[in-house]
Amino acid sequence: MEDNRDVEAGENPFQPYLDALRKELEHQDPIFIIGIIISLAVVVISFVLLKYFLSSKTVQSAVLLVGLCDSGKTLLFSRLLSGKFKKTQTSITDSSAPYKAKNEKGSSWTLIDLPGHDSLRPQYVEKFKSAARAIVFVVDSAIFQKEVRDVAEFLYFLLTDSAVSRNVPYLIVACNKQDITMAKSAKLIQQQLEKEMNTLRVTRSAALGTQDGSAGSSVYLGKKGKDFEFSQLPMKVEFLECSARGSKGENGQADIGSLEKSLANL
Amino acid sequence: MLDFFTIFSKGGIVLWCFQGTGVTESFTGPVNALIRSVILQERSGNNSYTHDALSLKYKLDNEFELVFVFYFLKENTILAYSSFIDDVQLHFRDRYKNELEQKGARTLLSSCFAFEDDFKMLLCEAEESSKARGPTSMRSFNASLKSQKTVKSMIETKGGDKGKEQGGKKNKNAKKEGKAKAPASAQKTVENGNQGLTQEEIIQKKREEFIRKRMWYGKSHCLLPSSKSPKPVKEKTKGKEKRVWTLGGNSTKELDYSQCNGNGDHATGVHVLDAQADPGMQLSSMKGDLLAVDYESSEEEEEDVVEKVVVADTSKQIPKRGAYGGMFGMLKGLVGSKSLSQEDMEPVLDKMRDHLIAKNVAAEIASQLCDSVAKKLEGKVMGTFTTVASTVKGALQDSLVQILQPKRRVDILRDVLEARSQRRPFVITFCGVNGVGKSTNLAKISFWLIENGFTVLIAACDTFRAGAVEQLRTHQRRLNSLHPPQDDRGRPVVQLYEKGYGKDAAGIAMEAIAYARNQDFDVVLVDTAGRMQDNTPLMTALAKLIAVNMPDLVLFVGEALVGNEAVDQLVKFNQALADHSISDKPRLIDGIVLTKFDTIDDKVGAAISMTYITGQPIVFVGTGQTYNDLRSLNARAVVGALMKA
Repeated sequence: MEDNRDVEAGENPFQPYLDALRKELEHQDPIFIIGIIISLAVVVISFVLLKYFLSSKTVQSAVLLVGLCDSGKTLLFSRLLSGKFKKTQTSITDSSAPYKAKNEKGSSWTLIDLPGHDSLRPQYVEKFKSAARAIVFVVDSAIFQKEVRDVAEFLYFLLTDSAVSRNVPYLIVACNKQDITMAKSAKLIQQQLEKEMNTLRVTRSAALGTQDGSAGSSVYLGKKGKDFEFSQLPMKVEFLECSARGSKGENGQADIGSLEKSLANL
Repeated sequence: MLDFFTIFSKGGIVLWCFQGTGVTESFTGPVNALIRSVILQERSGNNSYTHDALSLKYKLDNEFELVFVFYFLKENTILAYSSFIDDVQLHFRDRYKNELEQKGARTLLSSCFAFEDDFKMLLCEAEESSKARGPTSMRSFNASLKSQKTVKSMIETKGGDKGKEQGGKKNKNAKKEGKAKAPASAQKTVENGNQGLTQEEIIQKKREEFIRKRMWYGKSHCLLPSSKSPKPVKEKTKGKEKRVWTLGGNSTKELDYSQCNGNGDHATGVHVLDAQADPGMQLSSMKGDLLAVDYESSEEEEEDVVEKVVVADTSKQIPKRGAYGGMFGMLKGLVGSKSLSQEDMEPVLDKMRDHLIAKNVAAEIASQLCDSVAKKLEGKVMGTFTTVASTVKGALQDSLVQILQPKRRVDILRDVLEARSQRRPFVITFCGVNGVGKSTNLAKISFWLIENGFTVLIAACDTFRAGAVEQLRTHQRRLNSLHPPQDDRGRPVVQLYEKGYGKDAAGIAMEAIAYARNQDFDVVLVDTAGRMQDNTPLMTALAKLIAVNMPDLVLFVGEALVGNEAVDQLVKFNQALADHSISDKPRLIDGIVLTKFDTIDDKVGAAISMTYITGQPIVFVGTGQTYNDLRSLNARAVVGALMKA
């Protein structure tokens, strides 16, 4: 009995307000209430649509030019966009420009040139990786033998990145500087990289965890038990040769036909 | 003679370059070296960089993302060139404003920057102005102030103070007329007295400013104490004079209040003196309601301030905007057209500097970092709805992450495999001061290596500390019991190479490496004795050990608790290694082991200090005292902890 009275006492302060509200609602035109509900729904739907459109724009509309320092990314960037030869220095920031592909559709996307220096690389890749539709990995074919471990480590880092393995962009490995006589062929580079990645799979998974306990990426490349091959990857990988400088030196054309063709096929 | 000038964008495209006559070598190498060592390592505090015989001067333009670099042979440094680069920058920006303002690399690639003629004109002007100024000629003896001192004043005798004073007084009285002009131009500071003059000047000017601000209405700049300013200054220069108390009167008669009635004359006397002593106060100015703050008058005041500043060029740059200008600045910042200046960033940078120092970053490193960030942001246009503080913080965070990122590949296991394929052992040497945790972390690293299937030889080159060899032996036994010998030869995975105490460390290391090569060990870990960085004989011994044995990796072990001392330790260690090396390519410190990381909560500044000084990555982080407490560095987490309030 006392409990009931307590409950009633608790309800009593709100009772008059609730009654008043109910009376007001009943007085109102039902159409008015329906109007309110519809406007709210419209606002919500428009938010959802906006988000969808905006996010679809950022996702996968960029082609990244990545690679080690001095591999020729900025010159390749210049050649692809304007066909001219420009002297270049080590890039400190990224450069981006819209690029029109040479196919019937004439589709255009953004070409982004990222700096290759070791201390800048992770930040810029982090910034642009989710927007990547294709990644052009530029390799210096002439000094590849000395740099094979660095190249492989960067490639491994790219491939095991969670965003990249989710979006599965098209990967083109452009073996640059083919105009130099000592340059290795694309086939040889592919074989060497596969061997390196095989070893890296083991050493990287055995690497120490970071000091705050965050685990590294748990993506395992290729198939367990078998030697690593690029065909085992979920994304399409293509090796091709090119020369940004061109065989005739600074004034001649660049030898980037195969690269342009691949980009047109995107 | 100017050898070379180049302008390139931060994205790497060279917009224009000029090569002086007779210069045939390519310029890309030195400029790349400049970029890598200065800009990317956040050392852009000062504007020049030396590479071999070339002295490179550079300037960053942050608004349009350009870099201006020029160089000349070291011997021909001409003073005019310091302002020359600024002139060129302004000229280039004005001329190509349209192309530069469009964001996107396409315009940079397609446009042709024909800057030759303008550049030649500016160069001629600069050369002419430097010639016109000519070398500063020495003053003749008569023009100097020393000639005006009496010989007597300069003689020091035992009771000579009084004599000197009197002599000084006489001469200074004579020079008073000359010094009457001094307030207007205090260019040459010959004596300390003169410097005091400029300080007084500054204080007076600032006082005038303040008083003028209070008198906001109309242009009745009344009773400016300009007449009074030279007086107190001159009184100072006369030497020690009898002090005049403003309220004390001139004679003791005034202090005699026995005649007059208590308050009357005394009160008025005081009032009169008050009014005189407080210049610029107009009576009845505060009558009625308090006057409101007004924006327009502040602008008028700003113009006057500008004029005053231009006329008296001795005073420091008074901040031209008052409190009202700050509000405009904020509104401008919201709209997004405000470009950052040094004054805007200064309070934020000071706060950040103190914050970094509070987080155990070495003091000079913190200030160098802040200078570098200021240089990177100067002139940059802020985006919409960004405050100065957020821009500066973002830039500082980026540069900290950049510093902590290793500049080369860090993968010990891969390198050990490489060495194994070349049939030689991979040698790691640990060095550091006393008590940082070398032996403990050596044991942890060998545990990690044997977990990954490598065989380890520990070389006990600490032949000094009592119990050092026994400590390593105990570690060896423990590690072997944890990982029983399962490889095909039935050998223990960890072995200790020791020769007792008192022997030469370099010799033991050499023998240990030879033994490892014979017995096919994968890794050799060389433990050295702890030594203070200014203990020369011990540093020489360490340098000899490293120079003779050429290890693959020289790791400096430093504890995370260290503060400013880290800078000194690393600099001296590197110096010693460079000085005592045999070859012309000395082996310096290749990596850092940061120990005792679990003892600091978020005062992780030591990591920044150490990587900034050496430019080498942190390879291992020790987070405890058991074998499992070995980690690698996560740059983002460390910077996050550092920037956390």
